[in-house]
Amino acid sequence: MKKHPMLKYLKEEAAAGPRLPLILCPGCGAGQVLNYALRAVDAVIQEDGLRKEDFVFISGVGCSSRLASHYLNFDSAWTLHGRALAVATGALLANPKLKIIVFTGDGDAAAIGGNHLIHTCRRNLDLTILCVNNGLYGMTGGQVAPTTPFGVRTVTTPYGNVEDEFDLCRLAQTAGATYVARWSTAHPHQTIKTIQKGIRKNGTAFIEILSQCPVHLKKTPAEMFRQLKKSTVSLKKAAAGRAGSRIPVGEFCDIDKPDWITRYQNVIDRLQSDERTHE
Amino acid sequence: MNKLHVNAAYCKGCLICVEVCPAAAIRPCPMINSRGYTLPEEDDMSRCTGCRLCETVCPDFAVAIETDEDGGE
Amino acid sequence: MSPDRSTDLLKPGVHYLQGAQACAEGALMAGCRVYAGYPITPATEIMEHAAHRLPRVGGRFIQMEDEISSASVLLGASWAGAKAMTATSSPGFSLMQEVISFAIMTETPLVIVDVQRPGPGQGYISTSQEDVMQARWGHHGEGSIIALSPASAQDMFDFTIEAFNLAERWRTPVLVMAEETVAHMRERVVVPPADAIPIVNRTTPQDLGIPPQSYLPYGHAQVPPMAVWGQGYNINHVSLVHHADGNVTRYNPAVHLENVGRIHRKIEDNVDAIARLETRGLDGCRHVLICYGSVSRTGIEAVREAREQRGIPIGFIRLNTLWPFPERRLRDLVPEVDAVFVPEMNLGMMIHPVTEALRDRCRRVVPIPSLGSLHSPGAILARIYEEIP
Repeated sequence: MKKHPMLKYLKEEAAAGPRLPLILCPGCGAGQVLNYALRAVDAVIQEDGLRKEDFVFISGVGCSSRLASHYLNFDSAWTLHGRALAVATGALLANPKLKIIVFTGDGDAAAIGGNHLIHTCRRNLDLTILCVNNGLYGMTGGQVAPTTPFGVRTVTTPYGNVEDEFDLCRLAQTAGATYVARWSTAHPHQTIKTIQKGIRKNGTAFIEILSQCPVHLKKTPAEMFRQLKKSTVSLKKAAAGRAGSRIPVGEFCDIDKPDWITRYQNVIDRLQSDERTHE
Repeated sequence: MNKLHVNAAYCKGCLICVEVCPAAAIRPCPMINSRGYTLPEEDDMSRCTGCRLCETVCPDFAVAIETDEDGGE
Repeated sequence: MSPDRSTDLLKPGVHYLQGAQACAEGALMAGCRVYAGYPITPATEIMEHAAHRLPRVGGRFIQMEDEISSASVLLGASWAGAKAMTATSSPGFSLMQEVISFAIMTETPLVIVDVQRPGPGQGYISTSQEDVMQARWGHHGEGSIIALSPASAQDMFDFTIEAFNLAERWRTPVLVMAEETVAHMRERVVVPPADAIPIVNRTTPQDLGIPPQSYLPYGHAQVPPMAVWGQGYNINHVSLVHHADGNVTRYNPAVHLENVGRIHRKIEDNVDAIARLETRGLDGCRHVLICYGSVSRTGIEAVREAREQRGIPIGFIRLNTLWPFPERRLRDLVPEVDAVFVPEMNLGMMIHPVTEALRDRCRRVVPIPSLGSLHSPGAILARIYEEIP
């Protein structure tokens, strides 16, 4: 039986037994994001000659964070709800050569992790944030999230949500991330190319991927996939005022700015070059 | 002719692969398997162009397309 | 505070340092090269000194947006191979409990300094020992922990080095339960020559000749060898109940007991190797004073005066290590006494394990509480003389 090409990057079997299939529900978009991310990493390893050993995947808690729970044939960590970015910060400070990819969700990154998201972007730490946005809290049963639109009924907004949602990309961009993009699971090739760019970017890459939760939204995966395609629109069309109620997808910003480690290294170099400095 | 391989231990029958196939070369299996899932199966693989979009979108790494270039591995 | 402009560690010899500075210098001496922190009185001086010194010795310092992220930084840094520390005070210590719990389960070496101040709530910014129970029980869930109690600027230097050594040896978070008194006092600190300072580093699978394909991240020994990121070991750190290979499926009560039981026993079974205490005048004593931290400075004075001025046969025990609590050692040291005095800068916390240990070895256990300030020797003596006229 021919195996899926990305299985080389997953731990199918280990001493205590099989780990696959992923614990995620049938048709969950998070599994697709893992597929896209592994393809992007594979491309960067082949094309740029990066070491597979330098890649580290860090996640928080939630459905998308299960991607780094125990499946990966890479160094990884399944950490605390909302704190994956702080953990990633520590890893970079210890070993700036690590290529860190963070799996997070809309609740993990923008609710409990919101403060760390803002500061990570502000610091422009060199890492890639893959924020799987399904507009709710999936793992715990479908509660409202900061990304749930106004009026939507969830298990904790049974009469309709009275809040407006975050625009996560606008949040990341305002906070200072130097590469910001949004796609959906229904845009596989664009997502893969964008993740490659994020990895190659020297700075904070924030990539939001709109994703389907078929179980809580009570639709088939195929239906939701079609819906994602239909409910998104290119940035160009959005800029021309033809978005309507559709969500703009594409690259929001791509700027060059020294990352945190580079700036701090300047401090180290300055101090060590002249002990008589009066600083 | 290309072949569709489905790992029944991993596939959860989400059928996104069938949804995206641009050549309509695969279809849902009419039978539910022992885990309650409707797996994809070959429909008319002469239509399959080897684009591997099904592999690309699979959330469970459960499908693989075998082409002649794969040399019968 | 004038920052040390040297790009070296402290030279051997006598230094005059604030406890906070001594703590930060001890960390550097132990090999700490990542520090993350957040300002909070009365711990901030440790962070400020670290901010000045880390880049000079080639380490990295970052001020984070809160205490939770400061502690979280230590996890990633440790997994990536660095020794990492943060210092906070009591309210920040509360915030860090989830991270501590996580560090226990993932068996991550790191050091957290709590410069205690009174609570609850904002409390005050003076001195306290009110977090000593929280040190052991503040993190949710099971799993034991190591907590040290420094009493001087010298201790701040020595105990911080010891904290790192214990963290690396036992693959655990280690707490340095300092107090405002000891962080702010300026005293003589003697630094030995570097080769006279034992430094312990974690055992790695490479040290034991274990290749990636046979490595079990939570196996091989009671203290599992720890792989570092970036070396091809494909290590997944997880805090869900797990098998020795890191698998988090196939949960059952036996796996749970094996996993968490080992983590608990790793510390508690080794209390003799981990815990230290100091004793004076126990031979033939009829009473004993048991204390820790800066209270041991005034406690020893009270004991000396009671013995010399009134001939009261009272001995002295100082707990250098609060947790794991050396219950058996205490029982061995105190075969039979009349009164056990326990002065603490709280309303009575360590008095509980002391009572549990010595209830059948004494007639009474006498708390001597003080909130917000260090007992004077006279205050301790007054209580002793009340009980022993």
